[in-house]
Amino acid sequence: MGYKRIKKDQLNAFLRELSKDYAVVLPSRSGGQVVFGPWDGENTDFLDWYKNTVIPPKALFFPPVEEMFRFRKGEEGYEIEELMPDKGQQIIFGIRPCDARALKIIDMLFADTYRDPYYLRRRENSLLIGLGCNEPCDTCFCASLDISPGQSEDVDILCTDTGEDLLIEAISDKGGNLLSRMSGLSDAGSEEESKARELRKSAKERITREINLSGLQERMRSNFENRAYWEKVSKKCMACGICTYVCPTCHCFDINDENRKKEGKRVRNWDSCKFPLFTRMPMENPRHEKWRRMRQRYHHKFEYYPMNFGAIACTGCGRCIRECPVNVDVTEIIGGI
Amino acid sequence: MMVAVEKDKGDSLMEGDNVYIPHVMKIEKVIEETQNIKTFHFNFKDETQKAQFGFKSGQFAEYSVFGVGEATFCISSSPTRMDHLEFSVMRVGKVTQAIHELQEGDEIGFRGPYGNWFPLDSIQGKNLVFVGGGIGLAPLRSLIWNVLDNRDIYKDIVILYGARSPADLSFKYDLEAWDKDDRVNMYTTVDRGDESWTGRVGLIPPVLEEIGPSPENTVAITCGPPIMIKFTLQSLEKLGFTHDQIITTLEMRMKCGIGKCGRCNIGNIYVCKDGPVFTYAQIRSFLSAEF
Repeated sequence: MGYKRIKKDQLNAFLRELSKDYAVVLPSRSGGQVVFGPWDGENTDFLDWYKNTVIPPKALFFPPVEEMFRFRKGEEGYEIEELMPDKGQQIIFGIRPCDARALKIIDMLFADTYRDPYYLRRRENSLLIGLGCNEPCDTCFCASLDISPGQSEDVDILCTDTGEDLLIEAISDKGGNLLSRMSGLSDAGSEEESKARELRKSAKERITREINLSGLQERMRSNFENRAYWEKVSKKCMACGICTYVCPTCHCFDINDENRKKEGKRVRNWDSCKFPLFTRMPMENPRHEKWRRMRQRYHHKFEYYPMNFGAIACTGCGRCIRECPVNVDVTEIIGGI
Repeated sequence: MMVAVEKDKGDSLMEGDNVYIPHVMKIEKVIEETQNIKTFHFNFKDETQKAQFGFKSGQFAEYSVFGVGEATFCISSSPTRMDHLEFSVMRVGKVTQAIHELQEGDEIGFRGPYGNWFPLDSIQGKNLVFVGGGIGLAPLRSLIWNVLDNRDIYKDIVILYGARSPADLSFKYDLEAWDKDDRVNMYTTVDRGDESWTGRVGLIPPVLEEIGPSPENTVAITCGPPIMIKFTLQSLEKLGFTHDQIITTLEMRMKCGIGKCGRCNIGNIYVCKDGPVFTYAQIRSFLSAEF
């Protein structure tokens, strides 16, 4: 199937048609932040202001608070009621190529050996419609991680904003099937296609920030016991954990119970390796010191995850750089090794 | 000699099962081991679940008191004795306090078994030296009873168990049983005796050196507090044991038990999924790096 196009002022009708079968989630403003939220059925003005969300789309599949099951003490003892996400289908419209890649990266963990039913249920019931970046932020460094800001193989459908139009391309079979059912799309001409190509090329060229990954595994291993280095680079870190919360691939969690008298819920919450309590045991804590936790986070992303899953757990989205209150910069820390 | 440590294949989980949902189990018996350690005998409420359940010595599980939370402990009973299951808990925090308050008839959540196990196959036909300290006997006793229930396929068995004081000795009923057993060379020691203690006094490592088991065709399996493990490993080396002949378990804080929540790693090794059972040779290859 070739490229399709739609006038941007027709996006509303397109989304409305999708809304019949899917819950549509797209970039919206909530509490002064840009997040993925349910479409209000009307506005498509995000096309004018949207760069990327603060909270990454992992939250749509692995929510900050997940109610896993309910328990209740009855006559016959405890009864457990599983709380699974509903089976409704959803469309994530406007996901960026870096964030779509991030989902591919954490899919491997959640599907590994013991399948995580909550995450995987939502992933199976979701369709990703990506929106290529024409104007990356100065904190972006996706190009260093083999991600092209304007292109993606990790979505079902990819859109490119060519000014007047959205150029629409089916990437997966699932995406192709959906597009073939949609009305209001016209075939794109070669002029639009070459314009899209041009936009993608120039977007990639605009990414100036880099992360030096050459020989990184070797470099990291030989620097591992360089305590002075890790102490130096972690000095200003406040261990607030924001880098882990806004990271599209950070997936660490805690499991806790909430209860009132004889009933309650078991919940899973986002946790962070930046907190000393994360690894604290009654008698000892292997990562009590901040520099050890800093080292753990970068080694996890750039050494252990590649060893275990064959992919670096970073997509160059730049959120950790943008949101860090003290300007810790992953590209500097990795580059300095 | 190589001792192969098998990796968990996760085959206890059926596709479609929700791995986070615990079985509701009933406490059948509570044994006060010491002033801060208790052992719990527990069982499935459902006979079908009980019949389907299996585990191997060395594996662990996530136990929960509903409304308080989950914590990680090994299964301390033997797979050869499936009438009920056992676990032992030292009171150190919120969840363990709640577990200590449990009584016969109370219910707990239980999910598992997780992790790898002691390499039962490759220790066949060998002399075995078990060295346990304090509550570290819990995972060992699962293996010891497993071995004793198939006594003929192993050679000489030495068990050395130690605790800080006579009052800190756990599993006294096991110690007595093994002491009476002609097929076992049982040694018990305490760091400090008391008025009534007539047994051996001394730290585990020097006592081990004094017993002096031969490394010839032998595997040593040791569990206990980190400081005891550290010096026990040195003593075993002194006795001529190679790193492949020594098996131990590692402990890290865990939550999920299934390699996802991200906290129990040492380098790229996840203790919950790749362990908790390792040979000393394996540990040396990754432990020096981070700790």
